[in-house]
Amino acid sequence: MKVAAAGALRDVDPGVPLLRIRGVRKVFNQLEAIRNISLEIGDGEFVSLLGPSGCGKSTLLMMIAGLIPPTSGEILVAGERVTGPRPDVGVVFQSPVLLPWRTVLDNVLFPVELLKKRRASYLDRAMELLKMAKLEDFANALPRELSGGMRQRAAICRALVHDPSTLLMDEPFSALDAITRDEMSVELLRIWQANRKTVVFVTHSIREAAFLSDRVLVMGRRPATLVEDVTIDLPRPRHIAMTEEENFNGYVRHLRRSIEASHEGVPQGH
Amino acid sequence: MKAFRKAIERFVWPALVPLGLLAAWEVAVRALHIRSIILPPPSEIIEVMAARYDLILTHLWPSLYLTLAGFALSVAGGVAVAILITWSSALRKGFYPMIIVSQVVPKISIAPLFVVWFGTGTLSSLLLAFLIAFFPMTINSAMGFQSVDEDIHRMARTFMGSRWQIFWKIQLPHALPFIFSGMKISITLAIIGVIVSEFVASQEGIGYLIKLAGGLLDTPLMMAAITALSLSGLLLYWIIAEAERAAIYWQPASDWGAGGQG
Repeated sequence: MKVAAAGALRDVDPGVPLLRIRGVRKVFNQLEAIRNISLEIGDGEFVSLLGPSGCGKSTLLMMIAGLIPPTSGEILVAGERVTGPRPDVGVVFQSPVLLPWRTVLDNVLFPVELLKKRRASYLDRAMELLKMAKLEDFANALPRELSGGMRQRAAICRALVHDPSTLLMDEPFSALDAITRDEMSVELLRIWQANRKTVVFVTHSIREAAFLSDRVLVMGRRPATLVEDVTIDLPRPRHIAMTEEENFNGYVRHLRRSIEASHEGVPQGH
Repeated sequence: MKAFRKAIERFVWPALVPLGLLAAWEVAVRALHIRSIILPPPSEIIEVMAARYDLILTHLWPSLYLTLAGFALSVAGGVAVAILITWSSALRKGFYPMIIVSQVVPKISIAPLFVVWFGTGTLSSLLLAFLIAFFPMTINSAMGFQSVDEDIHRMARTFMGSRWQIFWKIQLPHALPFIFSGMKISITLAIIGVIVSEFVASQEGIGYLIKLAGGLLDTPLMMAAITALSLSGLLLYWIIAEAERAAIYWQPASDWGAGGQG
């Protein structure tokens, strides 16, 4: 617990909501996927959306990204209503979706190109990010030469290269094996603490959510609603060894019960 | 040592089978006393190719020239039409079914019609080569432009990529392997188009020479012309396969000539 002080290096103010979701509802083909979700996420906060597969948490994330519009309600990023993709939001998808013909460095610089900014002025930042992700030796390699974990780390660098205020992550580690997953979680926290981004992390892994987050938002089954907002009061920086400690497991138990409770009284399936 | 073994694997074994077949052919023709008007031995075909190379080349050049011209037109036209139907959903809905259905029409059968319309000259051959090679080129390219993963589209959209950027930076490079696959099909078909057109009505070209030699029952000359044509076709295919290998540098090296859609 001595390491707690080191976690306090962020100077962003979590009290200021960077992301506001007000009464968001989403209906697909007359099927209600999300019912009336409202929440606020503070600047620099790491928040997980936790719920079973198909509960609509990814849909919510894609709405924050501006890729799909909500049926009703509104989403505000930095006080502005989201009407489409924004340059101050970076997204990491379930698969790395790197372009196979581009080197790792050129993949990381891809957003800079699309946003029509000068490549030269972002080159240093890209290399710095690659170094942070321990990929600097692979800057000129092609994606096929990388392992699954390395590819996803490159995708994280790509999402951060244009220095967005918010990083949205849609089950980014779900395609990786358990050992790589743990490693990636630690890496992600390291990168996050160095970059001070607001992170919204979608996952169906209770442990992952508890290990990474400042807050875990538990979502119930379709139609998705917010079931519980759990603050994870564990010191930072976090280490994998902490997942064996009792207070961590206490959070895991609490979250599991919360998910199970959300299933009761709700008709399952459809 | 390893490189040596690799060279053996790559060149010696694949060459062994055709060489063995040629040897068997030579031995069989001689042993069974088959007349050369029915089946000349390989040695005689090579002899004729060497002795009458002038005649063969005189007729080979115009055919190759027309093949390449028809092929080039089909690549340009096929890729252009593929871009149009990728770009506009109205054009896609209007033209794509027709393009697919026209695959069923044996385009060779149109050759005599082309002679009526465009005469017995080079124009008929060129247009038939173009027509036959055009459709696989279009369909392959369209498939390439349209088969970009939905996740990649979403990724590009989150970084505010415009439609134009998505086309140049994603769809076009993604389509390249498909375009090369189309080219490998089209070059073969372009040759067929030219030869058939020359069969139907022409006073020059390797197709004309094959037909002429057939009429004279000069089987060795006919087979020498067929061999020259086949070798040219092989060379053209090889050039495209090598160009593909150089252009699609991001795909792991596959066996020579294997389709490029991996």
